[in-house]
Amino acid sequence: MLRILLAKDLRRARRNPLPWLINLIVPLVMTALIGLVFGGGDKSGALGRIRFAVVDEDRSVLSDMLEGAAGQRESNQYLEPVFMDRAAALREINANKISAVLIIRTNFLHDYLTASAPVSMQLIKNPAESIHPAVLEELLGALTTGLSELSRNFNSAFPGWQSVIAGKSDYHQVAALIESAGDKLQSVKNFINPPLVGYEKPEPEASHPKAATSTNIFAYLLIGLAAMFLLFLANNAMTDLHREIRLRTFERYQTMRQTLWPFIFGKFIFTVVILLICSAIMLGGGGLIFRIQWPRLPEMLALCFGYACFVAALFASLVAVVPDERRAGVLNTIVGMAFGLAGGCAFPPQQLPAFLREHISTQLPSYWFAETLRNLECGSGDAPWIFITIKLVGASLLFIGLATVLLHRRLQTGTKA
Amino acid sequence: MEIFHRPDNHRLICEHCPLILPCLTVNPPYTRAMSLLKVDRLAKSFGAIRAVDGVSFEVRPGEIYGLLGPNGAGKTTTISMVCGLLKSDAGEVMLAGIPFGSDPKKAKSIMGVVPQELAVYEELTARENLEFWGRIAGLNSATAKSRAADLLDALSLADRANDAVKNFSGGMKRRINLGCALLHRPQLLLLDEPTVGIDPQARMNILEFIRQLQANGTAVLYTTHYLEEAESLCNRIGIIDHGRLLAEGKLNELQERISGDRLFILEANFNGASPDNWPDFKEHFKVIQKTERQLILAATSPRDPSECLKELLNLPVQVENVTLKRPSLNDVFLQLTGRDLRE
Repeated sequence: MLRILLAKDLRRARRNPLPWLINLIVPLVMTALIGLVFGGGDKSGALGRIRFAVVDEDRSVLSDMLEGAAGQRESNQYLEPVFMDRAAALREINANKISAVLIIRTNFLHDYLTASAPVSMQLIKNPAESIHPAVLEELLGALTTGLSELSRNFNSAFPGWQSVIAGKSDYHQVAALIESAGDKLQSVKNFINPPLVGYEKPEPEASHPKAATSTNIFAYLLIGLAAMFLLFLANNAMTDLHREIRLRTFERYQTMRQTLWPFIFGKFIFTVVILLICSAIMLGGGGLIFRIQWPRLPEMLALCFGYACFVAALFASLVAVVPDERRAGVLNTIVGMAFGLAGGCAFPPQQLPAFLREHISTQLPSYWFAETLRNLECGSGDAPWIFITIKLVGASLLFIGLATVLLHRRLQTGTKA
Repeated sequence: MEIFHRPDNHRLICEHCPLILPCLTVNPPYTRAMSLLKVDRLAKSFGAIRAVDGVSFEVRPGEIYGLLGPNGAGKTTTISMVCGLLKSDAGEVMLAGIPFGSDPKKAKSIMGVVPQELAVYEELTARENLEFWGRIAGLNSATAKSRAADLLDALSLADRANDAVKNFSGGMKRRINLGCALLHRPQLLLLDEPTVGIDPQARMNILEFIRQLQANGTAVLYTTHYLEEAESLCNRIGIIDHGRLLAEGKLNELQERISGDRLFILEANFNGASPDNWPDFKEHFKVIQKTERQLILAATSPRDPSECLKELLNLPVQVENVTLKRPSLNDVFLQLTGRDLRE
């Protein structure tokens, strides 16, 4: 009987795919949009290198030093400066090929060393991007603070350095300047190295050999949005019971069969099956689109199964609580949104308000699912997925039990009552 | 044996048996004398509203019993209690001599229910709908397929068997709605206003199909508010209004309830007239309906019509015209309730 009912529901879903497609496409589109906004455009899916133009109109020793330093060591991992003239740089930024343009104006070094006029650099940010230009602005702020501090502490030696750069000093004067600077640095050494206050960032031990090695922003987003939209898909699947009551097909079933549980349990099975199919499409298809590798596939399947059971049972109980289809539609949407948002599906849970984060989110199955999966696929890989799966299935049994009792009580007086 | 007329006037004939379509045949183990369905003092209230108030009737094997009444009379509530969709507050439903409550599974296997609203899956095809409901009724896959094919033929839907029901006309949807209740070959068919909202041609097709079912041994409980349907289709008719069964019997029995078999329709200016005050009037006639221009009367006892006419022409009003007619169901309803069935 369950097989017959399931086949019927799947056939109906296939003939009317629009509600399902919408809930499948939206999370993929949102993942793509948010991922690109947060700079997930490079092939690894991680935050990419920041490409920006440096327009050096000063042509001084300092700008030569900056040019040399920009492409070195760690900065090379995050920054990709390209040196060009102003017109070319503006063309590049208009073509959305770079995140910002840094302009070092004429006489920058001279004015800085002689303190004859206020000096400034100019940063033109790409309005089409948000994160990369903001990062560059912060870096430029740090650089200007450093230069200001340098000016305050070494101001007395600057005329000498100006003379060196102008080629007016001999090596004796250069040596004296270096010695003087060395003495000053020596005196502050104890304050600079090692720093008096620091912080440590313990690295988690890699307990699983296949754990993900780097954070993929698309994977992180996709897991959360999938968790959220599976709630909406479950709502769509489970409220089909309301449609069956409205269309009188449930009534016709009642005139043919004495026991109602196969019909209701069949709808639960249908919801679980459709959620598993949709999970495969969202996470599998999303994985292909965004080049995400899922290193912990069996664990992911187990979690998806547990979550599908829970979500189906949750909405079954909501259908049982609210007999009116329209009211149920509103309530289910609110519950779905609440579970999704408070569970940290749409936003990183760490960014939620403290009360929500500490007292509500951690109690929600949507949080258990999304965070465990994120941890497995994008984090350390040592999340307690078996425990979480058992918890999700346990919660689903609780809700399906509630739904059975409520529906039984409601149907005892007849669906027409 | 003709069932339906296709648009090209081609008539369907069963290949296997030219007289009786196998897909419609039932073999009831009951005689006509015993009742297949017996409803005894059934009652149901919704809050303060008494929807059904002590309704009793029975349906015998092979007969069509019509439950005639206006909208809101309690027909659907009655049929819902008969098929177990609603619990009654009082009374009993017996199917083939067994109380419904003692063996609901068997009771449900005896009956097929066609609800007033379409209860089919519009996304599925006609064939898929029939096969699905056949499986739900307990048939195996092969039997469900074979009976669905037979029914599609009988319902003149074979050429649209693989089309989604949502693309069907209203009449075709009604036919599929009817067919879904027939897969398990019920001995009793409960039809709740199966012709509401469809065109006359489609209605005729469905009525013809129901006659065919009856000819093949199926008993039918048929609710309607269409007088013509009840008159032309039903062997016995129960008139229901405000939840009470006011009268029941064969059409001629009901007509005879209006004393005699003639009604007199007088046309005159009755504005301000008070027939009850006319001399000797109340002893000989009773008023069925009175309007400003028309008075419908029945004789209080069987009398010669010419004698009645003489008396009517001597009434203290200027009679312009007198018409004699046989009482219709509507007249019976009018007499029983004081209002027109169509009101």
